[in-house]
Amino acid sequence: MANLASRLLAAARLRLEALRARLAGPPLGGGCGYPEGEIVARAILGRRALYPRGYGAVAFGGPRRGCRRSPPAMEDLLVLAPPAFTPGRLEVLAEKFREPLYSDVETGGTLGGFRVRLPLAVASMGSTDVASRYSLAIARGAARAGVVYGVGENVATVRGYDRRLTRGHPSLLERLTAYLSEAAERGLGGVTIQQSVEDAYDELWNRVYSDKRIDPYIDEGMVAFEVKVGQGAKPGLGGVIRVPRGEAERLSRKYRLDFDPGGRWATRYSAPATFTAEILRGMIRNMRTSYPRVRIWVKLGGFRDALEAVRIAAGEGADAVVLDGGEGGTGLAPIPALRHLGLPTIAMAAAARRARELGYSVDIMLSGGLYSGFHLVASLALGASGIAAGRPFLIAAAAAGPRGVERYVESVLVEAQMLASALGKYRLDRLGPEDLAAVDPHAARALGVAYALNPQWGAAAAREAGRAAL
Amino acid sequence: MKTAAGRVHPSVLELERMARDRAGFLEFLRGWLSRSWRWAREDRYRLVFRVQATALAAMREYLDSRGFTEVLAPVIGPVTDPGIRGAKQATVDFYGFEYKIMSSAILYKQYMAASLGRVYFAAPNVRLEPLDSALTGRHLAEFYQLDVEAYGASYREASRLAEELLYHTVRRVWEEHWRQLETLLGRTLDPEAHKPPLPRLTHGEAVRLARELGCRQPEGAELRWECERALSAHMGRPFLVVEYPRGARGFYDREDPARPGVLLDFDLIYPEGFGEAASGAEREYEPARVVARMRESGEDPAKYRWYLEMLRELHPLRTAGFGFGVERLTRYLCGLRGVWEARPYPKLPGIAPTP
Repeated sequence: MANLASRLLAAARLRLEALRARLAGPPLGGGCGYPEGEIVARAILGRRALYPRGYGAVAFGGPRRGCRRSPPAMEDLLVLAPPAFTPGRLEVLAEKFREPLYSDVETGGTLGGFRVRLPLAVASMGSTDVASRYSLAIARGAARAGVVYGVGENVATVRGYDRRLTRGHPSLLERLTAYLSEAAERGLGGVTIQQSVEDAYDELWNRVYSDKRIDPYIDEGMVAFEVKVGQGAKPGLGGVIRVPRGEAERLSRKYRLDFDPGGRWATRYSAPATFTAEILRGMIRNMRTSYPRVRIWVKLGGFRDALEAVRIAAGEGADAVVLDGGEGGTGLAPIPALRHLGLPTIAMAAAARRARELGYSVDIMLSGGLYSGFHLVASLALGASGIAAGRPFLIAAAAAGPRGVERYVESVLVEAQMLASALGKYRLDRLGPEDLAAVDPHAARALGVAYALNPQWGAAAAREAGRAAL
Repeated sequence: MKTAAGRVHPSVLELERMARDRAGFLEFLRGWLSRSWRWAREDRYRLVFRVQATALAAMREYLDSRGFTEVLAPVIGPVTDPGIRGAKQATVDFYGFEYKIMSSAILYKQYMAASLGRVYFAAPNVRLEPLDSALTGRHLAEFYQLDVEAYGASYREASRLAEELLYHTVRRVWEEHWRQLETLLGRTLDPEAHKPPLPRLTHGEAVRLARELGCRQPEGAELRWECERALSAHMGRPFLVVEYPRGARGFYDREDPARPGVLLDFDLIYPEGFGEAASGAEREYEPARVVARMRESGEDPAKYRWYLEMLRELHPLRTAGFGFGVERLTRYLCGLRGVWEARPYPKLPGIAPTP
């Protein structure tokens, strides 16, 4: 009886805490049916959030419907297909002389050239107001959690390289050192740094590469430069933010600005940057020559020729490619772009699957509406090397600071362990297409996995069919 | 006396020995730089500075005799050479505009070649190189380059000129200073080993040879220092590596229209592990190609507007040329450990303050 009472009390307290966090913070979910409550719960409860019973702070498993469009999401199309017979579990049993638990699943490894605790990365964010405000909390939490941290373009130019240009917004260096100082202690993780055309004007990468304060971390192999070819929310369009008029005038030499008529605000556009296959190839080569001690990441939006870009990145020896589907993005994007522009994340997953079949050797990460252990496990099973996420980190940081970020990662980690162990896989890199089934025959074909209603039709057959279809 | 083939110079070995103790070496360099007036008065460094003056005079003499005109170099401008591996440019506030201190005079060489045909600058360059380059013995943050450019020339002609220039300079320096070089610095040079034509390897051949010599060298990439050193020791005399793969060089090295991916460029490399002497190329001159190449460095071509406009107006602005590092040349001629011995008031990445 006492037990029940205390549980109810705890549940009520947590509900209150979650509510308070939600009220205090801005509507980070974007108001598009994003499961913000679920992330808040993860941020506050960590692994406990995986058990809906008794906590009730949020409703789990609600349908994820975008207000802009509803492309089929990973969870709509795919289920995990555990086997009854698990030789992989037997291996662990034989090694440990006891029945393996989910906690025996090894989640650590390398991702894009970094040692990580979990192949989950903080997607590059940065200059946007909200991302900027929580950048240090996310940096610290991500470092403590042992995951990769991305700094988006325009941070140095808009927020300052090593001193703050805008009130309340940390400089690039603050963000980097907040992350790197803690990550280096643990010997886990790494930071990726983007450079927009405008940042390139100030030679951001050169500056970082010759900065005494960053050099020790570069030596440790904890820094990557990320080429941004595009991003999910607005592939083909550059970054956009709203800035106060005074600040806008400072930026007007480097950016295109639209001033609100008579208003105090302006919209700042960053150029999307021109790429051809040759330019991307040349750029990666230049980077490998110019910055031999940093990793090279490439970020793509939902492009129809993403696979070709993956091929080039792999051929030139990039360390990772991030395929960011249309559900991605935390910054400002034009509504038509959100509604109509770019292939969805599931299409990027199909590209990742295809890239593996074609033997392109580069780490591929998926992002765009991916936030859970299921998303991670399914992505890895399709051949991705990890996932990147932005919004969940914002929500977690807003709800509970660095601890919230840590607990969010923890919840994803445990969830991934549970699911992988159920699939009989005790290392995340053992996951494969056989672990998935699609509920739709077309999706099964396109993704090269079994069709759920016809499990006899195995992954191999699906793969063949997929090859024929593509 | 001939320099034995397959040899790395003892000074280079000494430098490598020093660099193995990173902290100790940095401490040494800090001392070396912060009170450089002390060693600048020693006999051996007096000789080094005189050799440098002779070398510059010899280069001028040779170029003048070949119809080149010396031009005053720019110091600042809205843009400068971006093709410098990982090094940052220094900026100055020019009445509210951000100007760069020249990292090389490359953009202005073409400008003046359009005016005078055959030109050269003895130009100061500032490059805020990555910190680890303080240890290489080959990098200074502030250095001089003899920058040569000729209108209508091919890269082959430019590379022949670079060979001749080196030969002439070594001969003049040796004639003038051989006795002191031997007694004060223990340096011997065999001018005849520098006589053109020097051996030439395509980049592909250089990669293959480096691998045969046991050096791990990826294809299609800039030669790694270890491999360049191995080649340099193996060759026993200066040599050229030509036709680098695209992607490893600045946007201005012209890509062979007949062989996509191959650049019409060259490096002239010293023997004995002293590294690169000169680097040159035919220039890209079609604005559309230049713009695409600029994008490879991630930059907005808009900042090069004056240069692009010039290329369009003066089309076809076909030139070729090269740049000779003056301190590197001095280091080689004198057989020194590092370029920080080949220049008064040397400046190295990350070490400040110094004279």
